[in-house]
Amino acid sequence: MNDTPSLELFDVSKRYGTHIALDGVSLEVPQGSIFGLLGPNGAGKTTLIRMVAGITAPDQGSISFFGEAMSSEHISSLGYLPEERGLYKNMRVGEQAMYFARLRGMGKKEAEIELTDWFERLEVDGWWDKEVADLSKGMAQKIQFIVAVLHKPKFLILDEPLSGFDPINASRIRAEINRLRDEFGTTILLSTHDMSSVDELCDHVALINNGKKILEGQVSALRENARAGRIELQFRGNLIGFTAALGAGAILHEALSLGDNIHDVVLGLPPSIPIEKFLKWATSEVDVLSCTPKVVNMDEVFLHAVNSVSNTDPS
Amino acid sequence: MNRWLIVVGREYKTRVRKRAFIISTLLGPFLMVGVVAAILFIGMSSTEMNSKVLIVDHNNLLTYNMPGEADVLLPSCQECFPERIFLEYRFASKALDTEAFLESEFTAMIELDDGIMQSAKALLKYESPAPMKVQSAVKRDLGEAIERLRVKSESTLDYDTYKKLKVQIGLVTQNIVTEDRNIENKSVIGFVFSVFMFMFILIYGMHVMRGVIEEKSNRIVEVVISVVKPEHLMGAKIAGIGLVGLTQIAVWSLLSWLLFLGFGAYAETSGLLLKLMGEQGSQVGATDFLTFIQSNEKLGVLLQVNWGMMLGWCAFFYLAGFALYASLFAAIGAAVEQESDAQYLLLPAMIPLMFSYVVNIFIIESPDSTLATFCSFFPFTSPITMMVKLSVGVPWWHVAISAIILIMTVLLMVKLAGKIYRTGILMYGKKPSLREMARWLMYKNT
Repeated sequence: MNDTPSLELFDVSKRYGTHIALDGVSLEVPQGSIFGLLGPNGAGKTTLIRMVAGITAPDQGSISFFGEAMSSEHISSLGYLPEERGLYKNMRVGEQAMYFARLRGMGKKEAEIELTDWFERLEVDGWWDKEVADLSKGMAQKIQFIVAVLHKPKFLILDEPLSGFDPINASRIRAEINRLRDEFGTTILLSTHDMSSVDELCDHVALINNGKKILEGQVSALRENARAGRIELQFRGNLIGFTAALGAGAILHEALSLGDNIHDVVLGLPPSIPIEKFLKWATSEVDVLSCTPKVVNMDEVFLHAVNSVSNTDPS
Repeated sequence: MNRWLIVVGREYKTRVRKRAFIISTLLGPFLMVGVVAAILFIGMSSTEMNSKVLIVDHNNLLTYNMPGEADVLLPSCQECFPERIFLEYRFASKALDTEAFLESEFTAMIELDDGIMQSAKALLKYESPAPMKVQSAVKRDLGEAIERLRVKSESTLDYDTYKKLKVQIGLVTQNIVTEDRNIENKSVIGFVFSVFMFMFILIYGMHVMRGVIEEKSNRIVEVVISVVKPEHLMGAKIAGIGLVGLTQIAVWSLLSWLLFLGFGAYAETSGLLLKLMGEQGSQVGATDFLTFIQSNEKLGVLLQVNWGMMLGWCAFFYLAGFALYASLFAAIGAAVEQESDAQYLLLPAMIPLMFSYVVNIFIIESPDSTLATFCSFFPFTSPITMMVKLSVGVPWWHVAISAIILIMTVLLMVKLAGKIYRTGILMYGKKPSLREMARWLMYKNT
């Protein structure tokens, strides 16, 4: 895989009147990744996405696309599915999809072949000549998804792609997103509130809050970082004696007695104590039933990140 | 450019294939002819009711007593009071009082006295007003009868000789430079053009606004402007919808022309033409429709108008005037989220359009007034005013200056509207004030 990031934002700022929507954000989206863009409402995600989609330009900073300054040349390599979306009411489904395909630079024949394939894949074949007004919400969303990905963009922007889908169709779309990355090497910038889809889809994420990036990295590394050396230990033995024996090295975060002298504890280990060394010591003290690194989900990663930022940043 | 054309194509295609557009385009000229015919028909049918007019002649000025029947008066000049379908005369020597008149079969009563010989005025009393057609027939009939009396009493001529000698001058007006004739009639043609101009600018301008609001409210605009620049999208929308209007103008012109020729052919073959000529008292032995039109004082103007020139300039002023107003409407559409919110912004934008339409009524009266000249240069009124000016003839430099001012204003307006459009189209939530929209003009080109 090429090392040039598919998208690189450098010190990007944007203001509307006196409101600062984005404040010096830098980002790198590796090629072929599914990059989650996260943040609370009003954090600046839409502003960022609109700039990447070429709708607006930054007041300051630069955006480069596969190593080149972003320009109209990149329009046909971009796909964009905005968060709140609609279709033209006075056009038929197929004709509408065709219109957007041609706007993205596809030829008529090529678009027709691709459309037929996608319509079958998402089970909307037979809807080609239907009026948009006759579509259910889920149907319309499938069409919108198809319109965004039809031209096989190298870079795909999906803003809340799964909102509004029922669980069956949501997992179908999730599978399609993965397929686009795996089969065509599409890089996907995915903005969402839904942490479970981040857990399932994204390999990289960035968190934006109040127009600033407060976190960026590989999902696995961030999880590891947010785990902060915590492990989950289940043992049979004396909890008080065990806690006293921990000494200053490890910190007890949580403890839960399951009865029969069995206890579940969450312990924080300092970097100086590797887990193997700790386990050796623990088995000598108590009867260890299981020991696993604490599983941290993305919710916790972000709560952790947002809290640590608001603790250190007085603003 | 290619993408821009695709957008123009969508705006055009989705509108011209709509059933409402096809029907109104094909039936428009027929409907208009139908409306005119209906008005004429209603006007004619209102005189179907027979009017009976009682002429009270105390002194037997115009009448004599029927021999043997002292109570019955007959007109001295039988042919002066012909029997008509809609009008009958009766004569009496005594007037009816109000009550008797109301109970009588008469719809009107005229009392003559000797004074009529000098004053040439008569008093017509009615319960319900006599139709114009009846009034003018009565005026003509009485006039002829009095005229006969006067000729007899004050000259040695017999009436037929007098009639031959009598002259009524027809005034043909001609511009000394352009040699244009009868511009008064032509200005009516110009007025008709300007009415259509107003209609098309307004109707299709509204289309632009509605289209912008639709794209904004269903957020489709975000997808489109990630491909096409917002200003270009606005321009494409204006161009596409402008062409829809132009298509309708072209089809209407063509159909009207065919309708005119078709009616002519029908009139020639069905004998309608001969009937029309008979009614008109035309001395021209015209057997074809066009000669008939040419010889008609009012209709003749139809053949004197330079239709090619008028339609050509009409297309130009429509496109430019439409672009001017449509860009305003597009900016308004971009600033709001639904049509009902647009009202307060629409009013100021429409005032000059309304103004030029209303002022036109004065301009056809005097196409060379200062007001007319001002309105023909002022870009927000010139597309409408120039139609009247062009119809009566206007120096080429006048048209050129007007066109240049208009084009420059269009360019400026599209640019300014584009700035408002670009900012407004992505703003949701509160309704912007005019001041805020003015501030958007200052935003950087991003």
